[in-house]
Amino acid sequence: MPSPVSGAMAMRCLVIEDEAKTADYIRKGLEEEGHGVVLCADGDEGLRRGVGEQWDVVILDRMLPNGLDGLNILKSVRDAGKATPVIILSALASLDERVRGLREGGDDYLTKPFAFSELLARIDALTRRSKQQGEARELAVADLRMDLVKRKVERAGKPIALRPREFRLLEFMVRHQGQVITRTMLLESVWDCHFDPGTNIIDVQISRLRNKIDRGFSPPLLHTLRGEGYTIRADA
Amino acid sequence: MPRFWDSVTFRIALAYGGLMIVTLVVLSSIFYYYAVVVQAHGIDRRLLASSVNMSASFASQGTAGLSKEITELLNDGVSQDTEVYLLLDAKGQRLAGNLTAWPTDGVPYETLFTGDVTRYGRASESRMFWHRLLDGSTLVVGRDLLDKRRIRRLVWRSLGVGGGIALLLVIVSALFFRRLLVRNLAAIRSTTQAIQSGNLGQRIPLGKADDEFMRLSRDINQMLDRIQQLMDGVRHVSNSIAHNLRTPLSRTRGQLEEALRHNHDSTPLSEAAQAAIQEIDALIVVFERLLQIAEAESGTRRQPFEPVHLAAVVTDVVELYDAMAETRGMTLTAELKGDPVVQGDRHLLAAALANLVENAVKYADGSPDIRVSLIEEPQRTSILVEDKGPGVPPAELGRVTERFYRLESRVPGTGLGLSIVTAIAYLHQGRLQLEDAAPGLRARIVLPRTRLPLGRDVSG
Repeated sequence: MPSPVSGAMAMRCLVIEDEAKTADYIRKGLEEEGHGVVLCADGDEGLRRGVGEQWDVVILDRMLPNGLDGLNILKSVRDAGKATPVIILSALASLDERVRGLREGGDDYLTKPFAFSELLARIDALTRRSKQQGEARELAVADLRMDLVKRKVERAGKPIALRPREFRLLEFMVRHQGQVITRTMLLESVWDCHFDPGTNIIDVQISRLRNKIDRGFSPPLLHTLRGEGYTIRADA
Repeated sequence: MPRFWDSVTFRIALAYGGLMIVTLVVLSSIFYYYAVVVQAHGIDRRLLASSVNMSASFASQGTAGLSKEITELLNDGVSQDTEVYLLLDAKGQRLAGNLTAWPTDGVPYETLFTGDVTRYGRASESRMFWHRLLDGSTLVVGRDLLDKRRIRRLVWRSLGVGGGIALLLVIVSALFFRRLLVRNLAAIRSTTQAIQSGNLGQRIPLGKADDEFMRLSRDINQMLDRIQQLMDGVRHVSNSIAHNLRTPLSRTRGQLEEALRHNHDSTPLSEAAQAAIQEIDALIVVFERLLQIAEAESGTRRQPFEPVHLAAVVTDVVELYDAMAETRGMTLTAELKGDPVVQGDRHLLAAALANLVENAVKYADGSPDIRVSLIEEPQRTSILVEDKGPGVPPAELGRVTERFYRLESRVPGTGLGLSIVTAIAYLHQGRLQLEDAAPGLRARIVLPRTRLPLGRDVSG
């Protein structure tokens, strides 16, 4: 499956994961995206390489052999003064564990089992995080403009009335334009929901937003990527 | 010996026996003190007084007068069996008195002391005061301590007899008590042994008397009832889990097998894979909800409780579900007044509310609007979700919070939503209330207003 996200740079990824099949699954996926992957099945080696080398992103399993917790590796990496983006991957799914992982310096926390597209979208969001952040007063994609100060949206010069939450949703997507955004990313960032409602509510929200920003305009900006999530971009 | 010590009866008997003997000793000591010690003081006082009086007689009438007085005193019939008088001349020869032998060497003069003398030929322990008169003669005034000896003997005898009787009583009552204990405990033990061997239906037969054993047995029986209920619950839940996980798993497996059998064409295989992923995703949801319930029920999340602004939670959830409500022709509104704050876990409270709102949106067919509101009362804060749909039949109100219980099987769902809400409310020392809103359903998460110390029951 070709990536809908074009132009991503090749990255050096360190995957610390002892379970061979999962590790292989991640490696293959990332390599298909053109990234370089180093696998470490062993916690000590992972620790050594994580601290000693330069990486674009580290994907870290929590429960490693010999009772080693991935969080210890994370702590060593942070103690060494490294700001490498770290995504924690774990079967420890409870909110507590998630909060702990993020507090220890993780940039994101993904629970097993996970869809590869989810992991990829999160890596993407993490590594490009700095791009559109900051004090922008206005955001734009194609002929859609968002005034972040007056909280107004217009497309092709016509004003579009959005509810505050729809504005937040659109803002998040425009800030990550061109990237795959998954349902859980939206739930977490726009609604502050750290649980899976297990229904299609995000699809319904997106389709309402799409009605407002795409209906009667061309080309469509909001795209659904089946089985992966959504993206907002100008090209068809 | 160790076997004796292991018996509670023996220990109780020993303790009671000890207590009885201590009581006897204390009583006897008190008796002895008043009978002997207090009396002794009186004796001393009287001896001194009488010695002084007789010295005065000597001063006025001399040795002869004193001798006469002593003889009179000895024959007046008063205190005949205890009085001791002796008058010796300067050479130590008896002039008058009732002693036939007395100590001669090292007798302390002018002080009260107890010594052995012979009174009318009988040995006697006496309290005496020896006084040297002016002409060198000696006046001895004393008192036989015969009654002190009698009292002492009496005390010892009563101690012995009383102790013996006490010991006998203790042994008899211990034996009786032991029989009672063994009989009552035997019923409890045989029941607990039956339960250990797997027969949880067994109960302790209750006696007629409303005594401690009866109450203990009743408590144990109630505890067993509760355990049995829980066991039945667990059995029901594990059956449901098995059913709810096994059904989609076998469906998926069947689909994949079917697709493999026709693998000359690649389309069905990818379709089957797609379907399998969907089924697995649905399974993951069920699985996560079960974990959520377990987590909330075990109370492990109580730790990171923080102040939660409920208005923000309601806004987040309502604005998450509003689009879905719209597609069903409903209006989902939040009615917020004030900003109640409770101690809790924001994400769990949001999850609980999301479950209630989702239920309303899914099941309140024909309800034009769904309202979410917050109610602040002095003791509690409630989150209310009200719809005007068909509601829940009163008979089912209690059952819908059971795990995997589903009222409407035609709408997809896990049957876990309300169990999660109940568990989360319980974790926050609150509860979930479901009421008939006639028409519709009113679901209420009631939370205590202020955080009470752990372990206190919040039912107000």
